[in-house]
Amino acid sequence: MSGPLAGVRILDLSWGVAGPLGVLMLAEQGADVIKVEPPGGDPFRDAPGSPVWHRSRRSVVLDLKQEEGKEAFLKLCATADVLVEAFSPGTMAALGLSYDELAAKFPRLIYASVPAYPEGHRNASRPGWDALVQARSGAQYEQPAWRPGPAHLHMQIPSMGACFLLASGVLAALHARENTGRGQHVATSLYQGVLAYTTMIWQDVENLNAPDSLVMAKTYPPGVHQVSIYECANGEWMHAGVTVGREATCTMESILGIEDPDPARIMTDLAYRAEHGQRLRAAFITRDRADLVEQFFEAGIGCDPILSPTQAFDYPQLRSNNMIVEVDDPEFGLMSQYGPPAVLSRTPSEVAGPRPVTGQHSRSILAELGYDDAALDRLAASGVI
Amino acid sequence: MPGPLEGVLVLDLGQFLAGPYAPMILSDLGAEVIKIEPTRGDSMRYGAPFIGCQRGKQDLALDLKRPEAQEIVLKLAERADVLHHNMTKGTATRLGVDYHQVTARNPEIVYCNTYAYGYDGPMSISGGIDPLYQAVLGLEYEAGAVDQGNPPMYLRFGMADTANAFASVLGVLSALYHRKVTGQGQDVWTSLLNGGAMFVSEVALLADGSPAPRRPSMDKELTGLSPCYRLYRTQEGWIQVAATTQAQWAALCATVGRPELGADTALATFDGRVAARATVDPVLEMAFEARTAQVWQALLDGAGVPAEIAVDTRGGETVLHDADNRALGLTASYDHPMMGHMTQFGNLIDFSDSGPGTYGPPPLLGEHSRSVLTRFGWSEGEVDDLIERGIVYQAAEGTPYPWPI
Repeated sequence: MSGPLAGVRILDLSWGVAGPLGVLMLAEQGADVIKVEPPGGDPFRDAPGSPVWHRSRRSVVLDLKQEEGKEAFLKLCATADVLVEAFSPGTMAALGLSYDELAAKFPRLIYASVPAYPEGHRNASRPGWDALVQARSGAQYEQPAWRPGPAHLHMQIPSMGACFLLASGVLAALHARENTGRGQHVATSLYQGVLAYTTMIWQDVENLNAPDSLVMAKTYPPGVHQVSIYECANGEWMHAGVTVGREATCTMESILGIEDPDPARIMTDLAYRAEHGQRLRAAFITRDRADLVEQFFEAGIGCDPILSPTQAFDYPQLRSNNMIVEVDDPEFGLMSQYGPPAVLSRTPSEVAGPRPVTGQHSRSILAELGYDDAALDRLAASGVI
Repeated sequence: MPGPLEGVLVLDLGQFLAGPYAPMILSDLGAEVIKIEPTRGDSMRYGAPFIGCQRGKQDLALDLKRPEAQEIVLKLAERADVLHHNMTKGTATRLGVDYHQVTARNPEIVYCNTYAYGYDGPMSISGGIDPLYQAVLGLEYEAGAVDQGNPPMYLRFGMADTANAFASVLGVLSALYHRKVTGQGQDVWTSLLNGGAMFVSEVALLADGSPAPRRPSMDKELTGLSPCYRLYRTQEGWIQVAATTQAQWAALCATVGRPELGADTALATFDGRVAARATVDPVLEMAFEARTAQVWQALLDGAGVPAEIAVDTRGGETVLHDADNRALGLTASYDHPMMGHMTQFGNLIDFSDSGPGTYGPPPLLGEHSRSVLTRFGWSEGEVDDLIERGIVYQAAEGTPYPWPI
């Protein structure tokens, strides 16, 4: 690999979503990632995201509960720059692998943790499934559903925040290590992952009349941009009339063949605004979506189709920007998957390979550490690898 | 203790949310960030949550259409490590601050432009805002359960904007690390489309174009993915359960008084429970109505079933004023000359050796114009002249805006 992180080795003990996905982002910037799995493999290999979130790394199986497994792991740590773990608090300490213990042996090691809640938080020992953190953090209540009460969020907000925080934290610590020569403990959590997405909506300001102090209004349902969603013919949906910073050459209404609203009245007369909204909806529902998207784009009016996640793969901008990669997964064969999210001109990000089979590289990685065939056979016989 | 990015100087020429949020995160991590703002103000200053993405920055207000202002940016760029913005394609070139124009003055800079629709393709000329990327990537479709006959639903967390910012933090920090090691800077780009795609990164297609299996979808009522992984309404409040193992599922069913469901072999797997939602959900829904969420939480805790009450934070109030959160540095407070005492989230990442973030209020327009320029070599007289000619704007005491609000 020749990415910006070439030469950085990461041991990935994490499971779930945030850990593996955060590590993926670092792996595809060129880091050499070794996934350390328990005997039998990471239980999240059954998760739908596994073919993506576990790619671009090698896999070694080590039973850390056996002395020989731990010994091999410590030898690996001596070659590593970063360790990532996502266990509940106390798990690593019980294995004799706490930050303090490893920092004493490997002062340059960056030790990154991504549990459900921060250490010391009253919920720190509570179970950490994504949806549970959605509930406890308030994210589900923040998103009003079609009925009164909270909405379950299909998109895993806590994990999808924490993955970015994990990658950012590791990178910042790598940067600091170049100055100080020392590693350190980097910790984030799914709970902090939620906080990262509250910047538009959770603010407390003393003087609410001050300019600049606005926070995004909570409207039911379910947010300010819901109003620009329209249903077209054949049950297809789209956003339309969204500000995109382009000069529109005509109005949305003129394309839809209805009368433009009175600009003064629509700002002051709620009933008139509602009537106009009804006229718009009545016009949209008779029109072909693809046709409207094309005409609106030509006219400089912000719009986009609302697609299913599968339909998204046909959205032209994804292919234009090489966002889709072909990966030969050992279980599913050739797949189209999302590639890395940042594009670097000099040191391109790239997929380093498909998801490894559990333990695919156990022998070759341990051989690099000096284990010979006889020693490896012994470890295999005792279930350590 | 300084933050991990101490000594890194960032010029932030972004506006709205997607541009400024990444520099704010870099500031949280210890970088020094100078926000270079149009003299009329960031386009988001007066109409949207400006304060969510500006804290801790110094503010230099420039009329970038003037060549003298462009020269100020280039001079500052000579000393900067990172230049970051979200201008639409071509705009930076018109303003004299594109990658080539900047690297002519500082070849080692890390330069990041975040776009809306990506760098290439027919729509790359366009700007765009958060809901459009929630739309095309499938987030709104799944959030609303369109496949169940519902309308799409906008997620009010500013998802794509924020993810775009984190993608650019990833790109910038990777490039900075590469520069530390090799001395080489480079051009980085991300987009709302690229960042937002991480939310659906588990979605993949098989060779025949069909979706990869095992991805459950939500029910029409938006409660969750399976009888064992969903929200239940109780006598008072809602509770989310995550009984993912067979043992936990059996314990859940026993706790709510329906042990026969836990013993049913057809329901022994996650997929089996998904397939039986039409019959199983109503039974469990009725059972959960018998007690409050508080009581269920205690009973399920006792039975070893992962579950959490869905908390209504009243727009974040209970989170921002939670003593635990405050003590752990998860909230941050500071005083603003006009807004008074403010609180928002604090540490998103904790570092054992580098210090915790030090946060300041979002800046007023042009609040630091003079101090930034004089620090970087302009004389007081030169600054006076630039202000007088309208190239630089400086907030005057008591009147922080160039016109009455």
